[in-house]
Amino acid sequence: MLRMTQTSTVLSIFILFLHTTFGESGCTSADGDGTFGDDEPDNFDIDCFSQLEFRDSYSSLTCNFTEPPPHNTNYTLALCTKEDSNYVCFNMEKQEDAYFLQFTDILSNKDICMDSEMKKRVCRSLVVTDIVKPEVPFDINITYQKEANEYLIHYSTPHSWKKYLKDKLIHQIAYRQEEGTWKTIESPYLQVKLLGKNLENDASYEVKVRSQPNGDYFKGMWSEWSTSKSFRTTREQHSRESSSSVVVVIFSILGFMLSIVMIVLIVTFWENRIKPAVWPNLPDHKKTLEQLCKKPKNNFDISFNPESFGYVHIHKVDGIRAKAELENFLQPSTAPETNIPEKFRSGSDQKMIPAMTDKSKLNLPVTYGGIWPAEALHRLLGTSQLAVTEGNCSSSTYEVCHSNGVPLCDDAFNLSSAPPLDPSHQPRPEPLNGDTASQMLPTSEMRSPNNEEAYVTMSSFYKIQ
Amino acid sequence: NSAFFRSIFRVLPLLLVLSPVNSSSCAMGNRTTEIRVKYENILSHDIDELVNMSAEYRDRCCKNKKHENSKVFFCNDTQEIESLQSMACNMLRFFHKQKISKSFRWKAALVSCGTLQLLQCKCERHKKEK
Repeated sequence: MLRMTQTSTVLSIFILFLHTTFGESGCTSADGDGTFGDDEPDNFDIDCFSQLEFRDSYSSLTCNFTEPPPHNTNYTLALCTKEDSNYVCFNMEKQEDAYFLQFTDILSNKDICMDSEMKKRVCRSLVVTDIVKPEVPFDINITYQKEANEYLIHYSTPHSWKKYLKDKLIHQIAYRQEEGTWKTIESPYLQVKLLGKNLENDASYEVKVRSQPNGDYFKGMWSEWSTSKSFRTTREQHSRESSSSVVVVIFSILGFMLSIVMIVLIVTFWENRIKPAVWPNLPDHKKTLEQLCKKPKNNFDISFNPESFGYVHIHKVDGIRAKAELENFLQPSTAPETNIPEKFRSGSDQKMIPAMTDKSKLNLPVTYGGIWPAEALHRLLGTSQLAVTEGNCSSSTYEVCHSNGVPLCDDAFNLSSAPPLDPSHQPRPEPLNGDTASQMLPTSEMRSPNNEEAYVTMSSFYKIQ
Repeated sequence: NSAFFRSIFRVLPLLLVLSPVNSSSCAMGNRTTEIRVKYENILSHDIDELVNMSAEYRDRCCKNKKHENSKVFFCNDTQEIESLQSMACNMLRFFHKQKISKSFRWKAALVSCGTLQLLQCKCERHKKEK
C-alpha cells in the first residue's frame, strides 16, 4: 500500500513537470515559445518594406531577396505572429521577383520566416513600423509671386487623408536647370519657396518630390520620386535687381559727396562764421570803446604836453561868463532872449575853441580864460559891447565892463544882479570842473553882465559845429 | 485503497496551482512606455475612426430596451487594464450579435483586437462579467 502511494505521487509529479515543460503550444521549438528565432542563424538576406493603409485598413509588406536564390530551390516567405498561445503564419504571395502580403495588425511584433525544401524554417524579427515606405507625392504646382520674386512649389501626398502618417512625413524637393545638377530642399510642409534671385533669368527648371517618415515613431525609407514638373523663370528678375542696385549705388554716392561737401564747408567757415555764432567772444571793453569813439584825425593834436600847444592861446578859466549875458550886455535890444551860452567846462583842458554863433550872436573866439584876443576885443568894441570874462578883476578889466555901470568884479557873490541863466542849456559839469564852475559861478554872478567873460558850453559848441 | 485516492486528491490541488496557464489573462509586464507610444501613434486613430462611424448607430443603440449591455463597457478605477480587456472582449462579443454594417463590425473588431494585442491580453471564454 505504501508502495502504491509513493508510486502514484511520483507519477503525478512527473506528469506535472512534463506538462510544464511542454507549455501551451506544444511546438518543438528551441526557445520553447514557439518561435524559430534560435533554431538556426538568420543567414538569409532579404529586403522588406511596409506600406501602411495600403488599401482601406490594410497594410502591406513587400520583400525581395538581395541575393537571388538557386533556381532549382523553392523558397517560401511567411509573416508570423504570436497570438495568444498560437504562432500564426501567413505565407507571402510571390509576384515576379518580390513577395507581397496584406495584413491589418501593425501593433504586434512579427517575424519573417523563410521556408525551403532543403532547409528548415528560418525566421527573423520584423517591426513593421520601422520599415515604412510612404506613397509617392503627386500634383506638383509652381506659382510665381511677382512682388516677392519667389516661386511657390506646392504638392500633395495620399497620406494627408489617412490616419497613421498624416503630418509625420519629411518631403524632399529636387530642382535643376535643364540637365544640370540636382539641388534639394527638405520640408515637413506641403509647399516650399524658391527665391527668384537664386535662379537664372528666363531659364527652364525641373522639379520633383519624394517623402520619408520623420522618425518620431514611424521609421523607414524614401518613397519613389514623383513625376517631374517643369517651369520657366521670368526675365524681369535681372532688370529689377539691376535697377535696384543702381539706385542704391547712386544714393550712396550722393550721400558720400554731400558728406564731403559738408566737411569742407565746416572746415572753411569754422573760424569766421560758425565758431563766433556758436561760441561768441566776450566783448572787450577797451576795443569796444575804441570802436565807439571816433578815430581822431592824423593831424589831431593829442598830447598833454603844454609845449606842444605853443601856438594855442591858452586862457585861464577864471570868470567865464555866459555868452548870452555878454550879448545882452552889448546888444540888449537886438537879442535879449538869445541863448545864453553855456558854461565851458573849466579844467585842465584849455583850448581855444572858436565860437561860431548865428547872427544873433557874436562870432567870437571864446576861451576858457575869458581873455579875449586883442583883435577880437577891438572888433567887438567896434560893434557892440561885450562882457568878456576875465579871471582877474584887476586893472586889466576892460572898459566894457564898466561902461554899463555894473560892477563885474565884486568879491561878494551876488546872484540877483546876474542875469538868469537858462538852466536847460547848462550841462552838468564834472565834479572837478563843477567845483570850479561853482566857484566861478559866484564870481561870474557877482560880476555884472558888463563882464567880458563869456560862458561857452558843450551845447553851444555842438551848435557851432 | 483509500490512501491511494487521498494521495491523488492531495496532488490535484497542487496541479491546479502549478498549472502553466497564466493566472492573469493579461501579460502586460513593465511595458508602460511601449503601450503609451503605440496607443498614441496607432490605436488612438482607430478609436477615433470607430467613434466617428458609431455616430450613425447611436440612435439604434439607445432605442434598445435592454440596457444591461452598457455594463460591459464600464471602466473601474485602479483596474484600467482589466477594464480595457473587458471592454475589448465584450465589444467583440457584442458586435458579433448586433445587426450592424460589416465595415463597422470590422472596425470594432480591429479596435478590440488592437487593444488586446497592445495589452497582451486574451479573452476568457468562460468568464462572465458582473
